[in-house]
Amino acid sequence: MRKVTTYLILVFTAVLASTAMAASEDATEIMKKSHLAYYYAGNDGLAEVGMTLIDKKGKERSRQFSMLRLDVEEGGNQKYYTYFKKPSDVSRLTFMVHKTSGGNDARWIYVPAVDLVKPISADDKNSSFVGSDFSYEDVSGRHWMEDNHTFVKDSALAGAPVYVIESVPKESYKGFSRKLSYIDKTTLLPMKEEYYDKKGNLIRVFKAEKVEVIDGIATVTVRSMEDVKKGSRTVVSFSSISYNIGIEEDVFTERYLKSPPRKFIK
Amino acid sequence: MKKRVTEFSIRHPWAVIGIAVVITAFFAMQFPSMKIDTDPQNMLEADEPTRLFHQFAKEEFNLYDFIAVGVVKEPTAFSTDMLNRIYRITSEITELDGIIVEDIMAPSTVDDIKQGPGGSLVIEPLMAGEIETDEQARYILGRINDSPILKGKLASEDGRAIALFIPLESKDVSHSVAGQIREITDRLGGEATYHIAGLPLAEDSFGSEMFVQMAYSAPAALIIIMLLLLMFFRQMKIVVAPMVVAMMSTIWAMGLLILTGNTVHIMSSMIPIFLIPISVLNSIHIISEFHDHYKRYKHKDATIRHSINELFVPMLFTSMTTVAGFVSLALTPIPPVRVFGAFVAFGIVVAWFLSLTINPAIGMLVSSRALRNFGRTDDAHGPLSRVLNTFRNLSGRRNKSIIAAASVVIVVAAVGLTLIEVNDNPVKWFKKSHPIRQADMAMNQHLAGTYMNYLVFESEDPDHMKDPQVLAYMEDFQRELEKEEVVGATTGLTDIVKKVRYELFGADSARAVIPDNQTEVGQMLFLFEMSGGDPDDLFKFVTNDYARANLWVQLKNGDNQQVQRVVDRSEAFLAAHEPPDGISVQWAGLPYINIEWQRQMVTGMRSSLMSSYIVVFLMMTFLFRSIRWGAISMLPLTITIMAIYAFIGYIGKPYDMPVAVLSSLTLGLSIDFAIHFIQRLRTLHARTQSFKEAFHEIFEGAGRAISRNVLVIAIGFVPMMFSSLVPYVTVGSFFLAIMVVSGLVTMLLLPAISATFNKALFPARAQASGKESAPVRGRAA
Repeated sequence: MRKVTTYLILVFTAVLASTAMAASEDATEIMKKSHLAYYYAGNDGLAEVGMTLIDKKGKERSRQFSMLRLDVEEGGNQKYYTYFKKPSDVSRLTFMVHKTSGGNDARWIYVPAVDLVKPISADDKNSSFVGSDFSYEDVSGRHWMEDNHTFVKDSALAGAPVYVIESVPKESYKGFSRKLSYIDKTTLLPMKEEYYDKKGNLIRVFKAEKVEVIDGIATVTVRSMEDVKKGSRTVVSFSSISYNIGIEEDVFTERYLKSPPRKFIK
Repeated sequence: MKKRVTEFSIRHPWAVIGIAVVITAFFAMQFPSMKIDTDPQNMLEADEPTRLFHQFAKEEFNLYDFIAVGVVKEPTAFSTDMLNRIYRITSEITELDGIIVEDIMAPSTVDDIKQGPGGSLVIEPLMAGEIETDEQARYILGRINDSPILKGKLASEDGRAIALFIPLESKDVSHSVAGQIREITDRLGGEATYHIAGLPLAEDSFGSEMFVQMAYSAPAALIIIMLLLLMFFRQMKIVVAPMVVAMMSTIWAMGLLILTGNTVHIMSSMIPIFLIPISVLNSIHIISEFHDHYKRYKHKDATIRHSINELFVPMLFTSMTTVAGFVSLALTPIPPVRVFGAFVAFGIVVAWFLSLTINPAIGMLVSSRALRNFGRTDDAHGPLSRVLNTFRNLSGRRNKSIIAAASVVIVVAAVGLTLIEVNDNPVKWFKKSHPIRQADMAMNQHLAGTYMNYLVFESEDPDHMKDPQVLAYMEDFQRELEKEEVVGATTGLTDIVKKVRYELFGADSARAVIPDNQTEVGQMLFLFEMSGGDPDDLFKFVTNDYARANLWVQLKNGDNQQVQRVVDRSEAFLAAHEPPDGISVQWAGLPYINIEWQRQMVTGMRSSLMSSYIVVFLMMTFLFRSIRWGAISMLPLTITIMAIYAFIGYIGKPYDMPVAVLSSLTLGLSIDFAIHFIQRLRTLHARTQSFKEAFHEIFEGAGRAISRNVLVIAIGFVPMMFSSLVPYVTVGSFFLAIMVVSGLVTMLLLPAISATFNKALFPARAQASGKESAPVRGRAA
């Protein structure tokens, strides 16, 4: 009798372990697909971006820029080009990123007032992007292979079914110690992300506020990031979005930093 | 009224004591709900503009009160070992409760703006992790010295000292946070010296230590007073009475203060220390009188009736004048001082009433057997008698010399008064040997300063602070303020713009200037935010709409005089250089608040002292029904106040909060002896119709009681002089000085004046208050 029990327990454990493994693989797979859907929509893209930075007292600052993106390789290297329009004292300022999958990104900034192109060091991906609650990494994406993902449960967010997936960085990471993602089962877009620090406190919350289908591609057109501790919030809205417009790689070079490609940027 | 009260106490001693105990118990029950408030900011009205603006600036720029941790290590603190220790200490500090983690300033938390690979601009932590070589340590010191934002603030230029600034959620956790930091540095600190300083810490620690001091100073004073009384009267049961009166009046006053919802502030914590001597004074007069006449009456009740009868009027007036001194504090614009004045006054009234009831009641309970050896024996050769004889002879024979000497004292004192320096600094409420003072001295010697003031530039227009004209003005202002020696550093938006520009152009000093157009300023600041700079760091110096800017003015010394110099310099600069259109400039910061309440207190105390002086004079004139006697009775008080404050002027002790408040105590106490002396001298004269006889007798009854009072109060508070808190030392010294000076003036000058002008002052048929005299003949007092 005891043998049978032991046997049953063993079998049960094995089954449980294998399903867990399967779930883990599934979780990683979901995160990969989600990453591609969110960061690699189409082969390239163009959008007008409005950013509102709201501090804890409710005071607002805004930024407005045009953004070009080219995927050099699906799920791999990407290039970004940003042309600032507002606030007025930074108009014509441009910013470029060459994202190297699995390596350090290269970033440049062109400062028109002093007519200088300068590299910006990329050591801290966690630092704020133009003073907002989004970090550089939030803008260009954290590679799914950097974290271990576990499937937590199926759930629903605003009536739409989601996967809830927990991600823990493989190497100790300053940005977060644990992240819960709520991935829409249909679009695979992240609808919500909760970031926790090592003490288990919620530190940041990402929300996809609005999703629209553009050129057949489900796109998060309004997104927000809340810094729970600071009490500040940044809302980003995308407009005039177009995909697959044939942006040449040539655009992402120093020459265009100083004079923007008028074909794409008005 | 007095008869009925006294008779009741004599007939129903147990009832009187019982009622008093019940009331006392009721007030004592309020103690657990005591709310303590040690924040000197509350010295100002809650809606005082200075205070409101300080609060506004704190919110607008996310500023917090902070404590500063200083690490001093010879020959250098910039070694691998020390920096790694500080790294670990800092990371443990971030785990503490009550601190603002994001705003900690330490090598591992502050950002360095520098050039990265390929001429890039990088903003990243100065010390991102533990280091491995001393060379890295030296590199970090080099980076600090190359940054106008960090130089002198985070470390001394020679690298011997490092400072960590720990912002607090609220000032009242600073004492406990400092204790926890001390524990961390003890454990991880290694061979260096660690100092913990800062104005909030001094203020909060003073609050906690003050209560500890009070817990033993007040009982210690009571015990010493009791021992001295025992020495004089040699009857324990009698001596207990003044102690009971003192404790009860203190408990009533404190209980009512708590019951009425007032917080116990630094000031009100001193109430017991003020009430004890005041209430003991009355009791000593009664017991002294009782003691000196017991042998004659042989009956307790008769002796008590006699004593109360003899003392009722002087006691009423001494109490009323002291009340007047403290009630006048209600005229000051400082809420805690008003509360203090009101409740001390209440306590004095209670003490007066209890003296008249509890003393007789307890006296009645003492068995006659216990008193068989009680009472004055002929001690004509005892030390007290000898001293009193000396006084009698001096003032009788050298009366003119005494008057001349008093005039000299007045002139010398008048000069001394002009030398008084008004100054205060909560850190200096601790003695030099106290760790907080030590920390303050060490850190301000090595670093740019632990006292933070803020100069706020305001405009209606967003982005106005990016205007190069405004920044240039701000920069000129910085250079001007830095001319004051006490200003260790100034840091502003200007420094960030210049530093970004400097690093952007490859550490070119020529570029470390304010750009000439607003667009460039805007882009430099944008670059700061793009390069990893924490926007929150920026918004300590400017609001995010760029309509207001905040210049950090770091001071090495928090003395109000020094702060005032900086403020004066800024006002002179403003007058000479008009700010750009639409810009206004205003100070904030704890040191600035301190000079504001000091200003209000000095003027407030002046008018309060003046008014109570006049009130007391009117009361004296009324009591003696004579302007002449009224004026004479003011002499001990006038000379005592002048002498004490002149002494303070001559020795250069700053006229600070405790010294200011003590002027009302001085006024209230130093009139007392004069009242007893004159009232009883006139009574004696009316009774005996002989100035000679009255003059002789006054040194027996009143003289004896006054001398006992001088000794008891002066010695009783000597332990306070050994306190580590300066205000306590001051209070103890004041009690001694008030007693000795007003006692001497009363026993020398008043008799000298009476002797000199006795014809005018004591006309043949004096009427005065002769009716107060007891129906006693012979050697009556």
